[in-house]
Amino acid sequence: MIQITDLEKFYKTEEVQTIALNKLSFGVKEGEFVAIMGPSGCGKSTLLNILGLLDDPDGGSFKFNGTEVAGYNERKRSELRKHNIGFVFQSFNLIDELTVFENVELPLIYTGVKPAERKKQVEAVLEKMQIMHRRNHFPQQLSGGQQQRVAVARAVVNKPKLILADEPTGNLDSTNGNEVMDLLIDLNEAGTTIIMVTHSEHDAKYSHRIIRMMDGQKVTENVLEM
Amino acid sequence: MNLLYFKIAFRYLLKNKLYSFINIIGLSLGIATFIIISLYVSYEKSYDSFVGSDTVYRVYMDYIKGDIFEAGDAQTYNLTGPTLNEQFPEVVDNVRLYRLDKVTFVKGDKIIEQPNGALVDASYFDIFDTPLLQGDISNFKKPNTVILSESLAEKLFGDYDPLLKTVSVFYGSDTLLKVVGIFPDMPETTHMKLNYLISFETLETWEALKSQAKLNWNQNNFFTYIKVSKHTNFEALQDKITSADFENDPDERHNIERITDIHLYSNKPYEAETNGSGSRVKFLTIIAIIILLLSWLNYINLSTVKSLERSREVGIRKVAGAQRSQLILQSLIESMCLFLLALVTAIIWVIVLLPIFNDFVGKSLILGVSNSRALLPFAGLMFLGSLLAGFYPAVILSNFSPVKALKGKIVTSSSKLNIRKGLITVQFFATIILIIGTLVVSKQNNFLKEQSIGAELSQVLALKGEVLETIPDSTLAVKIKVFENELKNLSFVNEVARTATYPGDGYDNLSSSVGIEYPDGTLDERQIFYGYAARPNYFKVVDIKFVAGEAFKERTGKQLENIVINEKFAQQMGYSNPEDIINQQVKFWGETCTITGVIRDYHHFGLKSEVLPLMIFEHQTYDNVLVKLNTSSGTVAGMQTSLDEIKSLYKSIFPNSILNYSFLDKKFEAQYAEDQKFGTAFQIFTALAIFIAALGLFGLTSYMCLQRRKEIGIRKVTGASVFQILKLLNKDFVKLVVIAFIIAIPVGWYIMKTWLQEFAYKTDLSWWIFALSAIIAILIALITVSIQSVKAAIANPVKCLKTE
Repeated sequence: MIQITDLEKFYKTEEVQTIALNKLSFGVKEGEFVAIMGPSGCGKSTLLNILGLLDDPDGGSFKFNGTEVAGYNERKRSELRKHNIGFVFQSFNLIDELTVFENVELPLIYTGVKPAERKKQVEAVLEKMQIMHRRNHFPQQLSGGQQQRVAVARAVVNKPKLILADEPTGNLDSTNGNEVMDLLIDLNEAGTTIIMVTHSEHDAKYSHRIIRMMDGQKVTENVLEM
Repeated sequence: MNLLYFKIAFRYLLKNKLYSFINIIGLSLGIATFIIISLYVSYEKSYDSFVGSDTVYRVYMDYIKGDIFEAGDAQTYNLTGPTLNEQFPEVVDNVRLYRLDKVTFVKGDKIIEQPNGALVDASYFDIFDTPLLQGDISNFKKPNTVILSESLAEKLFGDYDPLLKTVSVFYGSDTLLKVVGIFPDMPETTHMKLNYLISFETLETWEALKSQAKLNWNQNNFFTYIKVSKHTNFEALQDKITSADFENDPDERHNIERITDIHLYSNKPYEAETNGSGSRVKFLTIIAIIILLLSWLNYINLSTVKSLERSREVGIRKVAGAQRSQLILQSLIESMCLFLLALVTAIIWVIVLLPIFNDFVGKSLILGVSNSRALLPFAGLMFLGSLLAGFYPAVILSNFSPVKALKGKIVTSSSKLNIRKGLITVQFFATIILIIGTLVVSKQNNFLKEQSIGAELSQVLALKGEVLETIPDSTLAVKIKVFENELKNLSFVNEVARTATYPGDGYDNLSSSVGIEYPDGTLDERQIFYGYAARPNYFKVVDIKFVAGEAFKERTGKQLENIVINEKFAQQMGYSNPEDIINQQVKFWGETCTITGVIRDYHHFGLKSEVLPLMIFEHQTYDNVLVKLNTSSGTVAGMQTSLDEIKSLYKSIFPNSILNYSFLDKKFEAQYAEDQKFGTAFQIFTALAIFIAALGLFGLTSYMCLQRRKEIGIRKVTGASVFQILKLLNKDFVKLVVIAFIIAIPVGWYIMKTWLQEFAYKTDLSWWIFALSAIIAILIALITVSIQSVKAAIANPVKCLKTE
């Protein structure tokens, strides 16, 4: 599904150039659950942003479903993104002014789904995430775990083929964290590819494969026994 | 379009109450001010616009002054209209109008003094598009016929049908008029408000006006309006008329002006009423635009400030698949919602404030369906403006890269910051100009108030009686003298004098002439001089001082022999030392007169206009009796008793009469009423502008403090004091105000210099006006900024650092 080769990304300030990704190469197959680990500043988040088509690499190749997408402009990336990729963030990133229902509905609006159909799909996913009873609440009225469930619901409502999770349990206690991880496992088992950045060895154990990074490069890669 | 856009917009406004409040208040005040001023301006511009008014011109007289012609008189000759009609094919009709400023109507036991009437040609009704409610114009072509306004007819006749009934009128002498028609009351928006129209033919039969009836090129006491054929070129006709010399006098000429221009742009001697001021309307329009712009700039500033806080939301939306156009659309919908809220608020402001404003300007402006339609283009403009104002933050918002937006790492580039700083500078520039304007206007108003006018008008009462019976002149003269003597015997009266007019009375009772032979024998046929009759003790009553000679003596002879002139006239005759002109003789009106005294120049019309060459002649006059009261009647109660005593005295001598009185000082000050109002309006609008600009500054400061929160935290951790932080934060804004001030000085100086040119006597643009306006602006900036920066400076640094 994803194949990156010699991927490069630099950050330039006026005087210094920092290398965030240094000729990084790996691939992810459809249906895989991959965890990316490494110390702060190793380039994990940069990588995730590029994989999520939020950012453009400075060098190398990025094939998404066999198509070279490196060098796509924002409009093209946005188009590809909204149909194929869902995001889960450490800080949930829900819109405070929208209710649970409206937050989850957001991606469907942007992909142009009709209101009646939207209602059906949102309700289905809320049901699945077990937060249907909270549909008319605003994010501030929810616990962290509930908020992250809403965020996951929003990420999956569009039925994306790929979910990118950036430390999804980072702001949660272990009970809530485990619940979220179980959700991700369920999604993965239903066929969704998942790439997750995490600091937690515990969470990483849920994945099929762990890629460890250091200074923008891949250090090790170990496949876990299922 | 999705309903969600509106939902989120309103939720956002509700959540950010302070931000919404500031924005809506600022924007709505700007819009309300703009609406009110627009109503006022369109009211002022709507004068004399009736069906066909674009083809109606007024004829007026130009007089030569030096080598150029200047507008000298709003009134023309009774031959003017017919002559133009005959000589120029494009002139299809004309109407002459002899104005009567006040006439007393008597019907049964009703005695009604009615201002604003005229004798007019029957063509009046065609030209001014005034249809009759009742009656027939063909009856109006006979002498002694009158057409009344609806309300006057009602006052005189009540429920009875007034048609073909008679009514007596007094104006110098009495006459009987037959009512042949009723016209609807005239709107306020005409320069020539009339309550009754008497047929022009009545001039010949009415004793008091007979002298005006003979067609001639000598007495220009008539307003003339001409109607021209469609597609007449105004300039071409004006050229023809100004170069024609009907009256065979090279020193004057006829000229024309559009009737629609009279109210705002004509300020000639002998106008029917004090007209509006084009420059005042222009200034107010500028102020309205400035205030509207200020509130828009505010809105832009505040929204961009706020957009920073919303970067995360934009990031989420982008990640969720929003396209740029969708984000811009949402932002525009939000600004539209805010604009609509502000518009509704503004309309509430207008409804609440309009009566107060009306009271203040003495108009009756309404926000109705008919004139709202005239406001539609403005509304469209405002709407567009608000969209534009929403567009800028929208573009900034949607431009955020999603990755950075999500992390809240939006550091607005310095160029955007400069735009914002630029906007603040523009706001303060405009505000400082308004402050300078306010200071200059009020300084000028005080100057006019405090300036000595060369006469003492306090405690002087002008009595003007109307005797409602025809008595011979000789009897009237004797009775008036009895009244005068009786007045002198009253304990509270210091002095009594009769005069045709007095300072502050306007042009109406002042005669103007050309053609005088100076003492050295030169004949001056160019300069207009003005004059009026007064009795010798008039000078004492109003305390006009003599620089040479003295007042003429009381004399019984009917022949005009002695005059008093003012300094200006003496200079015009070539006498720099007034002593030299005493007992010299001048010839005018076929009489030879001796100059017995030269008075110090006094202001007959207030300080807006130049002192005119003036003579006061010893003719008999019974127009006004001036009474100088002594100070003991100074209390309100004392004043009322005195007035009652004077009234009953008058009634005992003239049983069948009305007595009107006015206080000279109040009447004189009334001339400045419009200027005082303008000054106050200027102050109010300036205060508003300052308030709006301060709101904007408040917004920018809160943004700056937000941006520099981490910096402030670090500085505090490393030992900076609250005061040092304040200095750091306030410095930038003071710099902006100083820049605005530097640009505002020359602009403000130029604008106010132009404004002052309207006045013949003006205050100077002192340096302290500019210094004070700078101090005010900087103080306002400091106070506004400090509200936010103090908060930032005293905040716990640990908190600031944590959020990073």
